[in-house]
Amino acid sequence: MTDWTGMRPNPSPIRQWWVLSVRVIAPSLRNGELLIAMSLSAVFTVSLYLPLKNLMAAFVHGSYAQYLIPVIALLAVYFSAMSAALRSSTDTVSGINRRFGSMPIAPMTPVAARMSGNLYRCATALATAILCGYLIGFRFYRSAEYTIGFCLLVMLIGFTLCFVGDLIGMVSKNPEAMTFILVLPAVILVMVSVGLQPADQFPGWLQPFVRNQPTSQFLYALRACAGDAGHSTAAVTTLNIAPALAWLAGMLVVAGPLYALAIWRRR
Amino acid sequence: MPTSEKTVIVSGISKSFGDVAALRDISFEVSRGEVLGLLGPNGAGKTTMVDVLSTLTRPDRGHARVAGHDVVSHPARVRRSIMLTGQQVAVDNLLTGHQNLMLFGQLQGLTQAAACARAAELIREFDLEDAANRRVETYSGGMRRRIDIACGLVVRPEVAFLDEPTTGLDPLSRQSIWDLVGRFKDAGITTLLTTQYLQEADALSDRIIVIDRGVVIAEGTAEQLKERTGSRYCEIVPKDSKELPAMAEALSSLLPYEKPTLASDRIAIPAPDGANTLMEALRRLDVANIGVADVALRRPSLDDVFIALTKKPATRAAGGSAAEVMP
Repeated sequence: MTDWTGMRPNPSPIRQWWVLSVRVIAPSLRNGELLIAMSLSAVFTVSLYLPLKNLMAAFVHGSYAQYLIPVIALLAVYFSAMSAALRSSTDTVSGINRRFGSMPIAPMTPVAARMSGNLYRCATALATAILCGYLIGFRFYRSAEYTIGFCLLVMLIGFTLCFVGDLIGMVSKNPEAMTFILVLPAVILVMVSVGLQPADQFPGWLQPFVRNQPTSQFLYALRACAGDAGHSTAAVTTLNIAPALAWLAGMLVVAGPLYALAIWRRR
Repeated sequence: MPTSEKTVIVSGISKSFGDVAALRDISFEVSRGEVLGLLGPNGAGKTTMVDVLSTLTRPDRGHARVAGHDVVSHPARVRRSIMLTGQQVAVDNLLTGHQNLMLFGQLQGLTQAAACARAAELIREFDLEDAANRRVETYSGGMRRRIDIACGLVVRPEVAFLDEPTTGLDPLSRQSIWDLVGRFKDAGITTLLTTQYLQEADALSDRIIVIDRGVVIAEGTAEQLKERTGSRYCEIVPKDSKELPAMAEALSSLLPYEKPTLASDRIAIPAPDGANTLMEALRRLDVANIGVADVALRRPSLDDVFIALTKKPATRAAGGSAAEVMP
């Protein structure tokens, strides 16, 4: 065994965060994960836009591309959250989180690193969704601030859902089963929302749910930020944006303490 | 070489999970450079003990110091002094062996250049040169274990916790891990090794603590534990098992106060004089004209000790292990 008597170095939390973030991000460039995430947005765009474009023309005011792209961005973000859960669960089940716990690493550093990886995935997914949108005619019609607002809101939704996903992954014992179970709420929340068709196309008894569930509230806010060619989209008002932000705040308020509890309970 | 300086001090540690008492008032000490084998059956509390010492679990009662730091009041200092490998290999399967070593080196605060140099060193030492640039998910079980342990050595630990490091490995891979633990000892790293393999504890440890149902039930060197259970004995198998009673009769005077024990196809008699007893026994059987198929002078194995210690007297199988043969 080599003599390794050098001083034990003092690890910096920032550097540890960076090294762990690279660990999450670097393989995604090589193993096709990034490519799959990007093609997912393209596949969603093609498979939803082409069949529904003519069908929905009667119910949706203005261009269907303009209507559809916000939900494409959200779908991409939902899938990022599922990847986040899978990653976190794999790290827990493989014992690597346990190992980090016995090393001079602050408990929040691995979480922060996984979240950086998640945000990077969300950003890529958002960029791809916007690119696909531009190809089918989606445009940002309002000023630059609203465009930035649109992107920030998608990223904020991504952050929140990935955080929840990371938490679910951390407490779950079976990554495969968990991913399968998570698909169900994601599909319901997207299908039974104003993502593909307006709320008044749903049966009356379902409409209150359709209008008020988080996906629809996110979509109202995103569509307001993107605007449209005519005047069919509502203006950006507190009434449009506040419910979306309230949903996000609510999710973080519930998930934050649960996360702290999950870390604490392992002690 | 072990010194008198104590690197691990465990004093009255108890830990419960709900109603289950995983550890009950455990105390022991490990000297610098010593290899301590923590031996026990499944569910004995070995991993909980390692978790407490590596700051992953807080004890309910008691105190523990590792490398001079209290595990409860200064966990961060303890974490800077230890390495832990758990029962499962905990490295990133998507990274190569070299990348994993780089990752752990940089997490421990090495610069990129230093981490790279150290990674190359460890890859050489752990005989992983051919696999260094392959993803760990393609490694064999033994190679995965080796990279797992190597990742714990990117900076020198004062205390190493190896939790069942050879579980599930083939004999050859197990031997290579044993060689590694031998080098820990040479490097003066205090090592706490948990295992359910007695042979492993026997081969690697300077001292063994036997733990069962959260309680220390025996402590000592392998030799001392064997002494506790009894001394040498002699095992004789007749050619014809029908001759067992005649054989017992012929040998009975070798042990005036006790009858030799009849196992299924063999007789075991205490051999206080070692080979002399064995020769005397053979001479008598020759005189009585009883054919012998097999004969052996044996020491009680640690298995015998282990079974004797961890089983309640009432549940011991009659005529089973050599432990029962002994006075």
